[in-house]
Amino acid sequence: MKAAAFDYHRATSVDDAIQQLGAADDAKVLAGGQSLVPLLAMRLARPTVLVDLNRLADLAYVRRENGELAIGALTRHRTVETAELVRRDVPLLADALAHVGHVTIRNRGTIGGSIAHGDPAAELPAVAVALDATFRLRGPGGERSVAAGDFFFGYLMTALEPDELLTEIRWPVLPQGTGCAVEELTRRNGDFALVAVFAALTMGADGVCTQARISVAGAAAAPLRADNAEQALIGSRVSAADAGAAADRLAAATDPPNDIHAPADYRREMAAVLGRRAIQRAWAQANRTNAGE
Amino acid sequence: MAEQSAAGLIGARVRRQEDPRLLTGRAQFVDDVRLPGMLNAAVLRSPVPHARIVRIDVSRALAHPGVYAVVTGDEVRAAVATPQPVIWRMIPDQRMTDGYPLAVGKARYVGQGIAAVAATDRATAEDALELIDVEYDELPAVTTLEEALAEDAPKLYDEWPDNVSCRATIPKGDVEAAFAEADVVVRETFRFARQMGTPLETRGVVATWDPFTDRLDVWLSTQSPNLARDLFGEVLDVSVDKIRVRVPDVGGGFGNKFDFYGEEVVAAILSKRTGRPVKLIEDRLESFVANAHSREQKVEVELAATSDGRITGLRGTVYAVLGGQLATVGIGPCWLTAALMSGPYDIANVEASVVGVVTNRSPYGSYRGWGQPKSNFAHERMVDLLARRLDMDPLDVRRKNLIPADAFPYASPVFFYDGGRYDECLGLATDAVRDRGWLRRRDEARGSGRTVGIGYSFHVEITALGPSRIMNMAGLQHSAFDEEVVRIDSSGRVTVYTGQTALGQGIQTALAQVAAEQLGVPLDDVTVVVGDTDTCPYTGYGTGASRAASLGGGAVLTASKRLKEKVLRIAGGMLEAAPEDLVVADGRISVVGVPDRSVSMAEIGDAAYRRINGRLPEDEVPTLEEREVFDPPNVAFSYGCTAVLADVDRETGEVRLLDYLIAHDCGTVINPLIVDGQLHGGAAQAIGGALYEELVYGPDGQIQTTTFMDYLMPTASEIPAFELLHMETPAEHIPGGFKGMGEGGTIGGAAAIAGAVDDALADLGVATVALPITPPRLLAAMRNGQVQA
Repeated sequence: MKAAAFDYHRATSVDDAIQQLGAADDAKVLAGGQSLVPLLAMRLARPTVLVDLNRLADLAYVRRENGELAIGALTRHRTVETAELVRRDVPLLADALAHVGHVTIRNRGTIGGSIAHGDPAAELPAVAVALDATFRLRGPGGERSVAAGDFFFGYLMTALEPDELLTEIRWPVLPQGTGCAVEELTRRNGDFALVAVFAALTMGADGVCTQARISVAGAAAAPLRADNAEQALIGSRVSAADAGAAADRLAAATDPPNDIHAPADYRREMAAVLGRRAIQRAWAQANRTNAGE
Repeated sequence: MAEQSAAGLIGARVRRQEDPRLLTGRAQFVDDVRLPGMLNAAVLRSPVPHARIVRIDVSRALAHPGVYAVVTGDEVRAAVATPQPVIWRMIPDQRMTDGYPLAVGKARYVGQGIAAVAATDRATAEDALELIDVEYDELPAVTTLEEALAEDAPKLYDEWPDNVSCRATIPKGDVEAAFAEADVVVRETFRFARQMGTPLETRGVVATWDPFTDRLDVWLSTQSPNLARDLFGEVLDVSVDKIRVRVPDVGGGFGNKFDFYGEEVVAAILSKRTGRPVKLIEDRLESFVANAHSREQKVEVELAATSDGRITGLRGTVYAVLGGQLATVGIGPCWLTAALMSGPYDIANVEASVVGVVTNRSPYGSYRGWGQPKSNFAHERMVDLLARRLDMDPLDVRRKNLIPADAFPYASPVFFYDGGRYDECLGLATDAVRDRGWLRRRDEARGSGRTVGIGYSFHVEITALGPSRIMNMAGLQHSAFDEEVVRIDSSGRVTVYTGQTALGQGIQTALAQVAAEQLGVPLDDVTVVVGDTDTCPYTGYGTGASRAASLGGGAVLTASKRLKEKVLRIAGGMLEAAPEDLVVADGRISVVGVPDRSVSMAEIGDAAYRRINGRLPEDEVPTLEEREVFDPPNVAFSYGCTAVLADVDRETGEVRLLDYLIAHDCGTVINPLIVDGQLHGGAAQAIGGALYEELVYGPDGQIQTTTFMDYLMPTASEIPAFELLHMETPAEHIPGGFKGMGEGGTIGGAAAIAGAVDDALADLGVATVALPITPPRLLAAMRNGQVQA
């Protein structure tokens, strides 16, 4: 388990990193290293160059900008998880981060690394899809923004070009009266999800659901936005029956993998169970929030 | 550490002397050994489960900068005198696999060593592995027990008629009659997944074969240095005076490091070739194929009983899913499953068979419990199933059948159980369950989506292995006595030299407690030296089979007693008193009733080593040292009862352990803290075996679990708090009365967990017959009744 030889470049700026990525045949970005380093050690990844971002301090921040929350790609999971702004404005993100690996992993892993890696069973890509986050990418030709829903399109496959760098993730602030819930099924605490459901439901003044944002991890080759379940809930009072019906729709849309940890059928069935639990819990929280608790 | 009074040290909950070093990062493991000129080696492993090796071309690897040597299986075979030794040979007509350290002619499992490289560093060695060209002629693989036993199955060994290495039956009484006369017969088949011990420190060796002295000096992460030295001698055809095995700190053994592996021989051969020290460390990835696998069996059991729950007969067959070749312990662990199939129960008629079957999987070797977790699961599940059939309380069936206290020594099909109070131990556990309100918790949960159940298991644990002559007669090609040396030096301090190995289990502290109490010195005055065949005495077998504290403690106790007699004779001369009028406490020897007339242990040491004249009696030889060899007349059986409170999520199939207790008797306890730790660790491994761990092979014979992301060891988050309840019934045949207890926690856990799961799902009639119990399997069982593999 020793990596094959590679060159190492410590990036001095975002432009420098982009230039390095463009210059090499097969360069890899080193951020937190929580996924990359094991792949290197097992020689499953054999880049020619590692471009290390860790000295780019200006890529690590959490700030409120234009009604959105902007988070620098190099911000560590733990920093985001514990940031007061995140807890207040995008609580679903904070809830989800608590499920990423263990604290030691979150101290090192970065939010941009997790998004760019694009593991369909990981929490961050799924939350980004649920909340319509946008990703700022920079390449040799300049900057572009890609919506989370257009970013992930297959197992570990994203819209990121080899010579592009993800620099920032922008999160819409959740409206007042929103309740959030994460339901995740893992074999052990801290493992990748067999299935996880992320839900943010907003209750209007009349007690009906005005906005629903739901996504599923571990349910398909890419994180899944459960639009059909959302549509079923909007305008309803989210009774137990409503929650169950929406969760069944959610499960029907999944195309989960079959592997040694669980068969696909099991995962699909669990998507329904976790979906129902997440919807009910999120709605209960929305209720409490509206009651001023 | 504060001064500990010597009196009452045996049984005292003293802190472990070894821990400050281990906990502050001062330990030195085999990978910390760095010798001048040392090379690092790596092993090329077979990517295919079954193939003829047509050709190996190492020329590109040899030409790679930094590479010093490359060896192939054929070259290794030419360099050794014998195949890899198999020391457990209890089935005389067993077909042996005669494997070599690297594959010769054929590869028989994914991960089998094919060639090895020694280079300046490990990364360079791994680069060179990629430059070795091997041409494989792939053969159809048999990857499961059923495939291996199928008619016309591809054969692993061309010269065998089939894939069966051995069959043997262990009889007791008249089983046919018992079944013919039975009121009820219960039958079940149990499946156990492949699992293995996963010490945090993987295996490793540093071998130096000195070209000038022709001495082989080995640093080895092992549980059995004396055995390893003898086996190095046999395999390499070198007399053992030329071989030294040293054991640095060991980061967990769990049985895996009892076995003697091919890599150890390969490192020695590479050192001989290069004239340099060679380090070969198993990395985590290869540990999942190169480390001994274990546990995988199919066990068929039938129970004959009367209508009131008295078990009259047991019949069982253990199918051992062996790998592509036999490991050091051969059929041993699977044979023990059969030998202990009747467990703690008084069953007059027993017939247990073992069938050893080779498959294209990694070899089956030692892992904590050594066959016993499966026999325990089989008899405990059968008792639960019998109770269900008869509509009886499973605890009543246990009470009715446990060997009564007045029936010891009890002749089980193979072993004599030395003694115990099994019924009392069961009572200790059931009382604790009642007092802690488990029954109420179970009742309160009924009717909700999550339900709670209580499970029990009663286990016996073979320890203190064992009488050498009887073990030899049974087929063990090695001894099992223990030798200990206790020395008082010229400053009056005590050193114990032991052949036992320190694996993190606390053996130094345990032996020091025994010596300190016997000699009457403070605990901190005793040092225990381990891990060097040149300076430490010989223990047969090794530090396994739950024998170190029991046999080592017994031998240290006897040696210390004799040494104390000499101390008293010398002190008697110096104090002009009869030895029987002297007492020793806190390192001072004084005349009874006259505390002012005393002499210190330091003065005795000085008189025995330095200023002898006029102080050491004329008829005494200088020095203070005693050597004791203890070859026990019998093994010793510890026992215990595990109770588990578990919660099952009926929608997801998840099992959560809410509470866990073990009532236990391992004879005289030397240090309850250490016993607790051993039981905790063992129980954690039982939980892993019951709920999480599985080495998975695909239908193509490829292993699919080669990282800790896929092989799921339980972590602290998955493990409940354990409560331990101790009983002490001293072993009459062992000085001090100590029995072993290294494996008990592992043996009894899975059956209790399965019992709790079944109890939680009693209304659905679920019967757990396979391990591990995973959420998808349990959910399926709720629909069809049985947890299947």
